[in-house]
Amino acid sequence: MSANIIETENLTKSYGNFTAVSNLSLHIKKGSVYGFLGPNGAGKSTTMKMLLGLTKPSSGSFHINGRTYPKDRLAILRDMGSFIEAPAFYGNLTGEENLEILRRILQLPKSAVEDALEIVGLTEHRKRLAKKYSLGMKQRLGLAGALLGHPPILILDEPTNGLDPIGIHEIRTLVRSLPEKYDCTVLVSSHLLPEVELMADDFGILNHGRLLFEGTMAALKRTADAAGLPTHDLEETFLAMIDIDNRNRGERR
Amino acid sequence: MTAYISPFCMPFLEMRKMKRTGFCQAFLGGGALAALVPVVNMALRAETFTSQPGSPFQILMEANWQLMAQLNIFLLVCGACLLYHTEYADNGLQKARSLPLGSSGLFLGKLGILLSAGLIPLCLETASLTLCCMRWFPDRPGESLRILTGMAFAFAMLLPTGAAMLLLSSMCRNMWISLGAGVILVFFASMLPASSSSVSDVLALVPFCGPYRMLHELPGREAALWTVCLCLGESVLLCAAERVYQSIRRCFA
Ligand SMILES: Nc1ncnc2c1ncn2[C@@H]1O[C@H](COP(=O)(O)OP(=O)(O)OP(=O)(O)O)[C@@H](O)[C@H]1O
Ligand SMILES: [Mg+2]
Repeated sequence: MSANIIETENLTKSYGNFTAVSNLSLHIKKGSVYGFLGPNGAGKSTTMKMLLGLTKPSSGSFHINGRTYPKDRLAILRDMGSFIEAPAFYGNLTGEENLEILRRILQLPKSAVEDALEIVGLTEHRKRLAKKYSLGMKQRLGLAGALLGHPPILILDEPTNGLDPIGIHEIRTLVRSLPEKYDCTVLVSSHLLPEVELMADDFGILNHGRLLFEGTMAALKRTADAAGLPTHDLEETFLAMIDIDNRNRGERR
Repeated sequence: MTAYISPFCMPFLEMRKMKRTGFCQAFLGGGALAALVPVVNMALRAETFTSQPGSPFQILMEANWQLMAQLNIFLLVCGACLLYHTEYADNGLQKARSLPLGSSGLFLGKLGILLSAGLIPLCLETASLTLCCMRWFPDRPGESLRILTGMAFAFAMLLPTGAAMLLLSSMCRNMWISLGAGVILVFFASMLPASSSSVSDVLALVPFCGPYRMLHELPGREAALWTVCLCLGESVLLCAAERVYQSIRRCFA
């Protein structure tokens, strides 16, 4: 078996004649934090939804922890904590009751809920209805749901959206610490390269459904250097990469 | 090894999600209203009915069941809409779909609750019909068995309607659409003719029409058993349809 815990092979998703994700082959190492980058509409969320079985790939396949979808659907989902796009919860329940439902489905011990609430800093507000939470609190509740029971694989789609600077820093530190603490692999998406740089070991850059780059930060700098892109500022490297790809796309048309 | 939640626990879990939605209150209130129908009718025009010959239960059913059954169907419509509204309102369904649950677990859990809740009005109606028999027909005792079988039959006739309505509401992200469609179906079904026997035998199997049927209208025990079995089969088919719908939905989600 390879050291990759998640591997996709030519994963493709089309909606009608529009291709949201095209021939994507990701390699995510066990115990690493993988930063998944791309501008709006690049296909990050769509890719994550395919990994979670929320949407069916048009073609291609993926393996997670040596298991294949859809044959081992339950076993795959058992190993994954996820947070996709907007936080998903039941507004008529309190934060604690929301997590309690997840805990029962996942058959975890009672302490798991307190644990998760503590990690995301919601302990104080656990008795409040989830629909009365502020945006950042809803986001934190979503994160708590993903972290519940410390699953071996975490899929986080823009987890720092709507959080205050302290929250962003906390989440960043948390994500960074997960592999050592819980032997966890994290796939985290973002729009900002400098932001993921602080958390991730490996990076995948996506634009219009196609993977532009995959590898470590050092490899990214080498690639950018070779292509004559600016490397002193990561933001600029990222923007230049996307810009060149967009221009190439224009020519291909 | 890793444990999965047993399907039999799903209805209890789904019940937890219905906290503070007024689900139980709706069934209690609606059931009380339906149970009042025969009482009020008897209190106002006792002579009209006490002068009729035959079984008191059948007299009461002939006089009131049309309205009571319609209330029962309405309750199922509202209950089904409410059950999925909590899922869609704050996107809880997306989280639920990325948990290790069998693909029909959610639907079957909700169906279990909806049908159990359907028993609430039926029990209240059974009680009120029994009271009416004792109060206004003291000279014609021995109706209890007839009432019980009659109401058990009524429950069986509610099954396809409940399953069909739940399927409809699981398809609609917006509760108002499923509620509107449900109400239209209720009115449409109540206008279909129920007189000629061969037509009404078929109509008994159509969701939204079936609950108007009464046990004593059927030609015999065998016909009643057949109708009940066909209703059960129909409900199973509707559950299978939900499964098919889910896998189609995943291609476009
Ligand atoms: N159900 C759908 N039907 C049609 N097109 C869709 C559907 N879902 C997503 N898309 C399209 O697929 C593309 C990729 O969307 P996706 O949500 O994956 O982007 P993203 O990378 O997560 O963007 P963002 O950073 O804004 O969250 C978009 O152009 C979007 O419009
Ligand atoms: Mg997205």
